[in-house]
Amino acid sequence: MPDNSHSVKQLSVQNLSVRFPTVRGTVCAVNGVSFELSQGASLGIVGESGSGKSVTARTLMNLLPRSAEVSGGVEFEGADVRRLARERVKHFWGVKMAMIFQDPMTSLNPVKKCGTQISETLRYHLKRDRKTARHEGIDLLNLVGIPEPKKRFDQYPHELSGGLRQRVVIAMALACDPSLLIADEPTTAVDVTVQKHLLDLLDRLRKERGMSLILITHDLGVARRRCDEIAVMYAGRIVERGKPEDLFEDPRHPYTDALLRSMPRLNTPIHSRLEAIGGPPPELINPTEQCSFAPRCTLAQADCLQSVPQLSGVIGMREIACFYPANTKRGRRALAKNRARGKTAAGLQMSARRHTSG
Amino acid sequence: MAGSGDGSLRSEGDMLLTVRHLSVEFPVGRKRLLYALSGVSFDVAEGETLGIVGESGCGKSTLAKSIIRLNQIKSGSIEYQGRNLATLRGDELRRVRPDLQMIFQDPISSLNPRRKIRNVIAEGLAIWGDRQGVWARNHVEELMVSVGIDPKLGDRRAHQFSGGQCQRIGIARALLLDPKVLICDEPVSALDVSVQAQVLNLLEDMKIRYGLTLLFISHDLCVVRNIADRIMVMYLGKVCEIGDAKAIFEHPKHPYTRALLAAIPEPAPTVEVAEGDISGELPSPIDPPQGCRFNTRCPRATEICFIEEPLITQLGDQDHYLACHNPVIS
Repeated sequence: MPDNSHSVKQLSVQNLSVRFPTVRGTVCAVNGVSFELSQGASLGIVGESGSGKSVTARTLMNLLPRSAEVSGGVEFEGADVRRLARERVKHFWGVKMAMIFQDPMTSLNPVKKCGTQISETLRYHLKRDRKTARHEGIDLLNLVGIPEPKKRFDQYPHELSGGLRQRVVIAMALACDPSLLIADEPTTAVDVTVQKHLLDLLDRLRKERGMSLILITHDLGVARRRCDEIAVMYAGRIVERGKPEDLFEDPRHPYTDALLRSMPRLNTPIHSRLEAIGGPPPELINPTEQCSFAPRCTLAQADCLQSVPQLSGVIGMREIACFYPANTKRGRRALAKNRARGKTAAGLQMSARRHTSG
Repeated sequence: MAGSGDGSLRSEGDMLLTVRHLSVEFPVGRKRLLYALSGVSFDVAEGETLGIVGESGCGKSTLAKSIIRLNQIKSGSIEYQGRNLATLRGDELRRVRPDLQMIFQDPISSLNPRRKIRNVIAEGLAIWGDRQGVWARNHVEELMVSVGIDPKLGDRRAHQFSGGQCQRIGIARALLLDPKVLICDEPVSALDVSVQAQVLNLLEDMKIRYGLTLLFISHDLCVVRNIADRIMVMYLGKVCEIGDAKAIFEHPKHPYTRALLAAIPEPAPTVEVAEGDISGELPSPIDPPQGCRFNTRCPRATEICFIEEPLITQLGDQDHYLACHNPVIS
């Protein structure tokens, strides 16, 4: 993996917050997210539905609805992305920064040929003529490993399988040779064998082109193998960030810890009981000033309910937003205290969970 | 792989459900047929959980639907308690239906959005008509409690619940008529990891509490590994490998099973990661390959695989059955 201290900083997100006013109150989708990405690196953003990972990506890509209230700064290769958005700059998104989405069927236009959709990008952004765009389009299909690219170029999306469609989407995103690719759950809609092919492809392209990658996924296993660094999100905040091996082998945030424990694994015995995360999902509408995981956390103490822990630690190594990190002395003491009391400070019954971190 | 024959049927023991040579074909116009299932044979003992894995399009869901007779069966038999479900009609079929219930992948769309969930769960009682009144109301509430839904929320509708809660409601509905067999078609695929764990635990609890036999369909091998006693691997409407879960995961013999185990993000230690790189696309079930159906993508395919279809045979005397001409013997 690249050494962060020497490589060039490419993307810097500072204290990004996104709010959506709704009739039921303001939805705080992203609450003060900060991260940096260096040229050629890959960052995995992991979290469950509603954790704000997709909204973060869409903010970078300027794809939020008008009603969204955004604050904070996004800097990409020296340019202020939010200013570019205000000025409605044309040839930035799709050229410097590109994105691929979860469901290839909905991100492709069903009434246009695959080739037309790829060459459209080339003709609009790079002003290629029809003939050059066709040649380059076929080259791109070849690059993403589509067999018989010439034939596929003139086919419609419904004529392709799910894996091939996602490859077409990747080809579209790569058309203008972006320096950052954001992949939002790129393999959720496909089978495991296809998933492996697609992730191998993204890996290869990233290395060949020196492209940076933000891989958004709910599957911790996917992020583990493919990213230099992983950020775990919960309720719109990054709760833990670090190298995959550290994060998986020695999780510090109680949420990461609980998430890993709740996953079924190949090496556990059959019918072993999974440790589900108790308590209610996070409140995103008008949240209270507390650690958002506290109501479900087995380590929660009184001060977790009074203020929001900030992300701290060594940048590039390991950062945690928790007062009582799991697998530390402090965390173990908090757990022992809650066990003795029978419930956590937030009122979660301890007896329901037989064995947890600490 | 992708073999035929009933070699996968166990000789000893009483089976609750025995499927023999089941074939399902769908007409797709111009007199062509889509071969969804071709000669699938397997059996399930009482109280057992059979995990069914395979890529999309391999016939997992068609199999589930065929067992509860939601689609036409071309040939073959499904024996359940001395009756052949494949040929039952009318009232006889109606009487056996409560015994076989199903839960579906998308928990929200499988509940009627316009009805109160209390009535969604209780619909089976209304249909049967012989169990009504106070007893029925108590029974519904009892079930709601056992799946972890507060009975006070019974007057709400599906959209007021989260995905995990909707799946619990779906499970309660399936359990209402006291089924023997519960068919779960990708029950946790649409759920988040933490909710997935809750639903899997719930299914295990319900299995023990109500004495269920589960058919558990999933594309997630880790989930299947956790819940299943036996595993059946399917490919393009055929059975590749079936047997004890431990045997399948620790000593996979079929090249396709090995490919699946190698392709998951954290591959199984028993296989090489490179084995997950099976090339090409799933062939069309309208015109499946001759011989072994996996021959277009199999790294071990030889001449015979293109001519002759492998039969399912037992490996020694273990609970491990395989359909392959060139199995991986390690």
